[in-house]
Amino acid sequence: MSKDTSAASARTLFVVAVVAAVLVSAVLAPLAYDAAQSAQSEGTVSVVTISGTITTSTVDGVSEDLREARTNESIRAVVLKVDSGGGLVAPSERLYLEVLRTAEQMPVVASVQGIGASGAYYGMLPADEIYVLSSSEVGSVGVIGPGGTVPVPDSIIRTGPDKAQPTAEDRRRTIESLKRQFVGRVMEHRGEELSLSREEVAYAKTYLGPEAASNGYADGIGALPTAIDRAAELAGMENYDVVRNEPPFRGGFFLFATEANNRTTVYKQGPGMAGPVPVTQPLFVDEIANHDPQLASYDTEVQHNASA
Amino acid sequence: MPARDLVAPAVAFVVLVAAIVGGAAAVPFVTGGDSTDVTNLADRQTDMDAATVAEAESQGEITMDSDAESKTVLVDRAHANRISDEKLSTLVTTLVANGHEVEFVTQEQARGTAWNESLRSADALVIANPNRPYTPGQLAGVQAFAEAGGRVVMLSDPASIQQFGIFGFGFQRQSNDAPALASEFGLSAQSGYLFNMHQYQQTFKSVYATPGTGPLAAGVDRVVVRDAAAVSVADGQTALQAGERTRLSTTRRADTYGVAVRSGSVAMVGDTDFLTPESAYVADNEVFIGNLADFLVSGEKTENAPAPPSERSAGGGAAPPRPPAERA
Repeated sequence: MSKDTSAASARTLFVVAVVAAVLVSAVLAPLAYDAAQSAQSEGTVSVVTISGTITTSTVDGVSEDLREARTNESIRAVVLKVDSGGGLVAPSERLYLEVLRTAEQMPVVASVQGIGASGAYYGMLPADEIYVLSSSEVGSVGVIGPGGTVPVPDSIIRTGPDKAQPTAEDRRRTIESLKRQFVGRVMEHRGEELSLSREEVAYAKTYLGPEAASNGYADGIGALPTAIDRAAELAGMENYDVVRNEPPFRGGFFLFATEANNRTTVYKQGPGMAGPVPVTQPLFVDEIANHDPQLASYDTEVQHNASA
Repeated sequence: MPARDLVAPAVAFVVLVAAIVGGAAAVPFVTGGDSTDVTNLADRQTDMDAATVAEAESQGEITMDSDAESKTVLVDRAHANRISDEKLSTLVTTLVANGHEVEFVTQEQARGTAWNESLRSADALVIANPNRPYTPGQLAGVQAFAEAGGRVVMLSDPASIQQFGIFGFGFQRQSNDAPALASEFGLSAQSGYLFNMHQYQQTFKSVYATPGTGPLAAGVDRVVVRDAAAVSVADGQTALQAGERTRLSTTRRADTYGVAVRSGSVAMVGDTDFLTPESAYVADNEVFIGNLADFLVSGEKTENAPAPPSERSAGGGAAPPRPPAERA
């Protein structure tokens, strides 16, 4: 009897050991595989996504990704995955400077998806190479802006005639100056490849992929994997890892306000919501300060902040 | 288990943790952390000369040479004319300061026969960007006014060219499906705006125009127009023409495009922005504005033209073209 019992417990132990071994291996095997693979890898290509309208916040995110690429020793090349029709001038210049800073340390290759125009093209200028699809559009090297400003009402007191009210001539000079900087940088970075003169670039035309590849706005036709492979090649890597940096989710909430019965109500709407929902708590403290339905001054404050 | 048996493992634990964590904290001090050298790329990449756009020099006075006696200049305000008082002010002040009278004809003042009555008492007429059609009677009145020696200045921005129906003044496209209307005064304009990517003031649509022939161009070296239409004249003078390498937006062709033309007592300028107070003293714009003012007051109009309506043509001011007489 005791012999049987000890035999049975030995078997049980054996089974437990096997199961434990399988479980542990299931966890460790992928890690071992990855470790073995990255032991072969000579470095990482970081794919940085630039999409949508170029604003301060999109460039903040991209700047972080690029800084990470510059400081992380395992990252040896960067691919810019671009799908943007441009955006604000100052963020676009910031993007350009961040990409330039990165390109001075390691190979940077741009891969244009649908569109890489205006500010987005500005941003990718320092890339070693630019790849486009045959359906991509690049170019639009120029600046647009309002020709003047709405006159400041007399009820507002200003310290000088040009405070908050530039003349049409001021605006023309500003926009022309921004254009010259943009065109100048295109000539500086793409000048040798371009078959177009400075004057032709300043026309601000957008070119389709094949034309862009032949006139020098781009270096060739190719999709994202081509750009990644080319970036690795420029960094001298045969075996490499790829990390992708997608922009943070911004599909988000939007706010709007309605006025009814002499009261202003602020609503939010976002993914997963059936419809607009009234906001009872402040969402963004900076934007809707002191939003408290209990306060008597609620109406004016919300209105003021919503329109600020 | 005696407590002293736990001392050795505890000490080992503390020493190990301290060594590992302390070592990790010390690494950045030895290697310099993950900061990178910062160069001032923004400064290095900025070409200060290229990024600086000079302010346009504006100087001079708008003066008139004409010593004509006091004339009455009528300004059309009756056809939804798209021109601001601000733009008109430079021309109007010049005329008034030189002893002439300027009258504005509003829509109410142009009803029925009133338009042609106003013309009868005037010596010159300014029409800018009309956006409401002229009645046949009004058209005939303006035509008779010009034929009697009344001076007419038409100012038009590119978008308003279509609106001019006066004198058969037409809207010319490159294609032949809408040929220019034959015009008694031989004036025509092309659709689109002029631009010059090679030489311009501030932006590409601010084109320099150089003098052609005639008194409108007297004393002008160059004029800056901000958004101009190309105008031409069949039998008359091209007073101003756009500088070399100026192109037309619709065709992109570089050509010699007229900006101001004159045919007899009618002049046409394909721009209104040169009149704005901030552009009026740029380049030689002030000289050209003075010339325009002189042109307006130096005509000799026949008295009482256009003629009052005869008894047979009711309601329309000057007689509209009559259909061919019926034959018995």
